[in-house]
Amino acid sequence: MLTIKHFSKCYKGGKKAVDDLNLVIEPGDIYGFIGHNGAGKTTTIRAVVGVLDFEEGDIEIDGISIKKDPVACKAITAYIPDNPDLYDHLTGIQYLNFIGDLFSVSKADRESLIKKYGDDFQITAYFGDLISSYSHGMKQKLAIISALIHRPKLLVLDEPFVGLDPKAAHVLKTIMADLCSNGSAIFFSTHVLDVAEKLCNKIAIIKAGKLITYGKTEEVKGDNSLENVFLELIDHD
Amino acid sequence: MINIWRLTKIQLLSSFGLNKALHTHDVKERRRLLLLSIAILISVVMVGVVSFGYSFMMALTFEQIGRMDLLLAIMMAVASVIGFFTTIYKASGVLFSFKDYDLVMSLPIKTSHVVASRVLQLYVLNLFFTLMVMLPAGVVYAIKVNPGVFYYLLYLTTLLFIPLIPIIAATIIGSLISWISSRFKGSQVISLILTFAVILAVMFGSFRMNGSVQVLSDMGTQLADMIFKLYPLTSIYVDAVCSYQMGSFLLFIVISVLAFMLFTIVLGTRFKAIYTGITTSHASSKYQMKPLEAASPFLALYRKELRRYISSSSYVLNTSIGMILLLAMSISLLFISSEKLGQLVEIPQLSTYLSKLAPLVVSLFVTLSCTTSSSISLEGKNIWILKSSPVPKQTILLSKIAVNLTVTIPILIVSYVLLMISLRTGWIESLLLLAIPMIYACYSAMMGVLVNLKFPNLEWTSEVTVIKQSASVIVAMLIGFISLVIPFALVLLLSNVNGNLILLGIGLIMIAVCSVILRYIRTNGEQLFQTL
Repeated sequence: MLTIKHFSKCYKGGKKAVDDLNLVIEPGDIYGFIGHNGAGKTTTIRAVVGVLDFEEGDIEIDGISIKKDPVACKAITAYIPDNPDLYDHLTGIQYLNFIGDLFSVSKADRESLIKKYGDDFQITAYFGDLISSYSHGMKQKLAIISALIHRPKLLVLDEPFVGLDPKAAHVLKTIMADLCSNGSAIFFSTHVLDVAEKLCNKIAIIKAGKLITYGKTEEVKGDNSLENVFLELIDHD
Repeated sequence: MINIWRLTKIQLLSSFGLNKALHTHDVKERRRLLLLSIAILISVVMVGVVSFGYSFMMALTFEQIGRMDLLLAIMMAVASVIGFFTTIYKASGVLFSFKDYDLVMSLPIKTSHVVASRVLQLYVLNLFFTLMVMLPAGVVYAIKVNPGVFYYLLYLTTLLFIPLIPIIAATIIGSLISWISSRFKGSQVISLILTFAVILAVMFGSFRMNGSVQVLSDMGTQLADMIFKLYPLTSIYVDAVCSYQMGSFLLFIVISVLAFMLFTIVLGTRFKAIYTGITTSHASSKYQMKPLEAASPFLALYRKELRRYISSSSYVLNTSIGMILLLAMSISLLFISSEKLGQLVEIPQLSTYLSKLAPLVVSLFVTLSCTTSSSISLEGKNIWILKSSPVPKQTILLSKIAVNLTVTIPILIVSYVLLMISLRTGWIESLLLLAIPMIYACYSAMMGVLVNLKFPNLEWTSEVTVIKQSASVIVAMLIGFISLVIPFALVLLLSNVNGNLILLGIGLIMIAVCSVILRYIRTNGEQLFQTL
């Protein structure tokens, strides 16, 4: 579903944020992307979803190169950034309808999915209010719903659990599992290692722009906890 | 006091991409900023030369009647009026619409100091206008009168205090409008209506006053009396600078500084209440799912962009004032002759311009209403939504152009009909009167998008920084101005050639320019948007 081939990204000035990253995410995978602050997680994620331009390597989504056909890639991808900066001047429902239009979601689909996810996250009653009146968590919920209404084949999330209340975090985890059981793939970054350990079937750890380990969660952590493995790799590698 | 300067410095660094210019290591970026600085310098020199010429011409008249002090009085009044008008419709934005409000207000700094820093930001910008008007006037005065050293000392010191009172007056009105609007549900719309009402009322009032006393024909004492009566501070200023009266000099400075201090302290007490009123949205939390309406990506983007436009009073005020003035002028021409109108708005040859250059005059108002030059920057941190959406980027850019045309075209058509009636144009003139401004409307909108793609500013904390003080807005204004000055000069210089023929040529050239820009947006828009 997602193939990252020899992806590198340099900052202006020559410093490499990500260096020759290779990763394959298959349908049904919930792939956790772990690393300390500034390791290159967000840079990679932003390149995957076509927000960040890059020169070296290639990224393919469902066999399509993001460089050659970005629109086709974006049509099957959903992205939720770490900070949900949404249009404050729109109401929640206007924003969701706007996203529905951009992703050409049918009227029936968008109505039923907005209702379903709105009720799941207990936010439907607030859809008529301006986004400027929303709390951080409500904006996060709205961003998640907007990512789900077009049934993405690939869901990319940057720190999705930050700002969510425990109930909403539980709902999101259930939705992630459901999506993957239906053949979609999920690639997400997180600092919450417990969640990654329980939720992800595969894990990749990045340090200073380089992938230091990746694979099935059980293989990466072995008999240790993911936290111990992560700390050991980050400190000693 | 040091905190006021610290806050002001931080705000000013985010204006005009100043901080980026100081810290970027990117050679391409540096080259671009160098070009921008050259463009700004050229425009400053151009305005300076025009201002000097204007002062010099006026000085010739005042020299004859032996009242050179009137030159400084008039120019000081002009600088104050410019300061007042350019502040009134951005005061609310600068004072109350900054995204780092929480951060700034949580610092151990007095609220009155925060207010002072916001007003000082307005002051620095207005000081620039004051210098553009007053410096050439001061030089002309010095050439003609040959005053002593004391003049330079008093003149240069008072320069720094001229913008204070007009800014405070405009900010009081701006704050009052914000305070009143904050009490209503649709505060932005109320604020917009009130600001337009105040601007039009002040303009109408000043026209009426001018018309009744026939200022332009009566030079001398009557003119001096009127200026001194309208703005008493001019009298104190002239006494201080031209007659070296130390009492007046001190009074001028004390009044300006005291007014500034009083204003910041008083507003400081109501600042939080006004901010909360403006920024607090009315939430009903009672929404029930209703049938949704599906639309094409272009229509969805267009609606989103239009809602964005209407949601910001600063954006609307700054970009639609040209069209409002055009409409006001067109309506006025139905009731008064163009000669009389020229007298009222202090452009003596307006009637000649209107009959010969009407399509270009209308185009001037249209290019003043460029919404696109800040539309990409205004996406700010929301840019990820558009960048990650499966829509060709040219569709996004075209939706922004469409909103600009929505602002200009309807008023343009109404004004066209009104002007056609009042100017009694022939059919070829009528056609040109419609076609040329329409072409300029398309050109201005497309050029604005292109300039904003080249000079984006997505890292703003106050949207006024983008709407009023960003590089792309200045560059687009400069290009728009040059694009009209050349045709104006051509029509005036080639007076022996048929004016309609020249206008037709200009129209065809502008259509060619538009198609080149459109082609560029279609081929390179995607790439430029991606690099944002």
